Amino acid sequence: MAGIELLSDQGYRVDGRKPNELRKIQARMGVFSQADGSAYIEQGNTKALAVVYGPHEIRGSRSKSQHDRAIINCQYSMATFSTGERKRRPHGDRKSSEMTLHLKQTFEAAILTQLYPRSQIDIYVQILQADGGNYSACVNAATLAVVDAGIPLRDYVCACSAGFVEDTPLVDLSHLEESAGGTQLSLAVLPKAEHLALIEMDSRLHQDHLESMMDAATQACKDLYAVLDRVVRDHLQEVTTSIGE
Amino acid sequence: MAADLRLPAPRKRSTDLPKEQGKHLVAPGDVITTDSGFMRGHGTYMDDEKLVASVAGVVERVNKLICVRPLKTRFNGEVGDVVVGRITEVQQKRWKVETNSRLDSVLLLSSVNLPGGELRRRSSEDELAMREYLQEGDLISAEVQSVFADGALSLHTRSLKYGKLGQGVLVQVSPSLIKRRKTHFHNLTCGASIILGNNGYVWIYPTPTEQNEEAGGFVTNTEPVPLSDREVISRLRNCILALSMHKMLLYDTSILYSYESAFHHQIKDILKPEIMEEIIEETRRRILEQEG
Amino acid sequence: YLHVALLFWQQVILCHCTLDDLRVDGRSCEDYRYVEVETDVVSNTSGSARVKLGHTDILVGIKAEIGRPKLDRPNKGCLEFFVDCSANATPEFEGRGGEELGTEIANALYRVYDNERSVDLKSLCITPMEHCWILYTDVLLLQCDGNLFDAISLAIKAALLTPSKIPKVQMMEDEEGTTEIELSDDPFDCVRLNTENVPCIVTLCKIGQRHVVDATLQEKACSVASLLVSVTSKGTITCVRKIGGGSLDPESIYEMIETGKRVGKALHAPLQDILNKEESLGKSREKVGFIG
Repeated sequence: MAGIELLSDQGYRVDGRKPNELRKIQARMGVFSQADGSAYIEQGNTKALAVVYGPHEIRGSRSKSQHDRAIINCQYSMATFSTGERKRRPHGDRKSSEMTLHLKQTFEAAILTQLYPRSQIDIYVQILQADGGNYSACVNAATLAVVDAGIPLRDYVCACSAGFVEDTPLVDLSHLEESAGGTQLSLAVLPKAEHLALIEMDSRLHQDHLESMMDAATQACKDLYAVLDRVVRDHLQEVTTSIGE
Repeated sequence: MAADLRLPAPRKRSTDLPKEQGKHLVAPGDVITTDSGFMRGHGTYMDDEKLVASVAGVVERVNKLICVRPLKTRFNGEVGDVVVGRITEVQQKRWKVETNSRLDSVLLLSSVNLPGGELRRRSSEDELAMREYLQEGDLISAEVQSVFADGALSLHTRSLKYGKLGQGVLVQVSPSLIKRRKTHFHNLTCGASIILGNNGYVWIYPTPTEQNEEAGGFVTNTEPVPLSDREVISRLRNCILALSMHKMLLYDTSILYSYESAFHHQIKDILKPEIMEEIIEETRRRILEQEG
Repeated sequence: YLHVALLFWQQVILCHCTLDDLRVDGRSCEDYRYVEVETDVVSNTSGSARVKLGHTDILVGIKAEIGRPKLDRPNKGCLEFFVDCSANATPEFEGRGGEELGTEIANALYRVYDNERSVDLKSLCITPMEHCWILYTDVLLLQCDGNLFDAISLAIKAALLTPSKIPKVQMMEDEEGTTEIELSDDPFDCVRLNTENVPCIVTLCKIGQRHVVDATLQEKACSVASLLVSVTSKGTITCVRKIGGGSLDPESIYEMIETGKRVGKALHAPLQDILNKEESLGKSREKVGFIG
């Protein structure tokens, strides 16, 4: 790997993290008042917003309507100023259409859609600042937004990325680590049951290493779950206290 | 002067309030009970004999039924609920009504009182004249008559207190902030009336002087509302917004207390964060005192 | 854009309100809702700002990139505008739904800002005909609650005003005569734009017989037409534009311009004040952002 050393001899990464350490996470639920649910998350320098509208009557053609469940409608977009080099358009390119589809599939696995026949749930995510793990940050923000909207979920969905450098799996990659070009694995996990809602790996990896990388990524998702759960419970406590009664 | 610009203040967490201890709070995926003797209600699902929460909220037990009430959600109407809604579509023999539910609600032509007597038969002329009674954009108050299998609500306005709404102001809050009471219609002593729709739509209007029985709720007063009444309505509107922003339950007493706490402030100042906080604190204190 | 079907009588009450200078939220006709401004909210930009006006929520990021001057003004840099009406604000903006509004706003912004009188474009030129700074000003609409133009202009001015991270550049010429651009390595060695003449936009909405500033979505829905006036800190009007449908009589246009001038001039000082305050706090400032 040319140029930068992603893992020092002492076992530290470029930003001083240990291989299995997440970046600092800050999150908040209920950032917007007009949507049914909303959330904001910072994972290191990656910042993402998610809003949820619905469940509501199907918009546009009613032919999309499903008589036995709600349809999930997503959009992934990135603010034009979110990346180092300016993006020409926030969404509609191949990459963001792919992310949109991923997001839809991930949440179809987690939301109890059969409870809302003939209706629609919109999940919109937006990257405000991109520094690696964009997809994961969006999934995590969307989970919080769905919980904020009071929409029934089988379980949280927690997503995290992992890489593999010098026989060591690294979790929650930053942009620098992503762009170094090694193997990358994205996981979205329903942590309680340890079901995978999404798994995607690009570039090749020796089969022997797959397990250790998967284990590391799954563990990272569980660590993330602990953080998200804390956010939800704090919010819950705060609001019930305020409502009183 | 006109513009009040400021830097955003860091959010205050309401740590000064006593922590809620007695409630069973759960998050999605939490196991509520493994006892198979319970019935599964809203906000829960069964997973291998375990009753698991699917939303974040407060666990409520009624006999054998376990529900989780989320903090915030779309309106989940039940028979008898009072709603305020907006007509979105006029169809054959029925109106579609937006009520903040997950599907549009329905108001059948047979579920409204038409002018000229309560028990008049619905003729085909009535069907053609539907748009004269209620058209797109009109606001109505109504009661939930039944719930369809897919969860859509069927409404009726077969009572003099329901029907088309006249002059007034609509405020939208989360349905979970509307406290269930015997009545959701109040003539407040401060000089205006409100309808607290269970669906979170609150209608504030000048207290009507007399009820016209013949109109069946379809004729509205077009006289200008005097300034003094509008001041009361505006103040009430801002107070209700303040209560909702601070996640406080809305009912006649809380609204009246906040109105009184806000009385010495200018109406437009009520929505400024620091003044809002002051009003809310005062309201909270008075509610606690009253509850003893 | 945002479909707000308003009950006719709600309109009546709103129009009566403006007659007595008491709007539904208690403001007078020339009052703004309170505004929150924060700068430096996203990195990866040369300057950024977030403005909240009521529920209207705007994020502006400015990126400086080196490009070629436009042919008709070889010795000046330029500003490029892009407005993303994101689905975050309303599902109607999903996909290409927000493009029309976005283009309309961007066009107005070009008129207001991309000229010598508003921004010192000469200082953005590096070498005439060859290199200049292009300030890509990207507006992200996160929530709409009326009066987008004014909120966006405040955010743009705030983002331009903050110590923009446009690095100083030097032209190096090597032996073969080709020039190379060298950016200054010192992150503090940057160009600060002269923003003395950067105007603020005031949108005046004609409702009934009067006009109001900072109209909410509801007020906008019952207005006849709006006029956009851009005003510098000295009170010079740089741009007047009628926006939206409807028509206005010349008499009320004069009145609206007068109001716009008065209100717009008064916007600059408080904005400058809080930005100065923010800068003086420096590193000690508690960043609010979305975490609060």
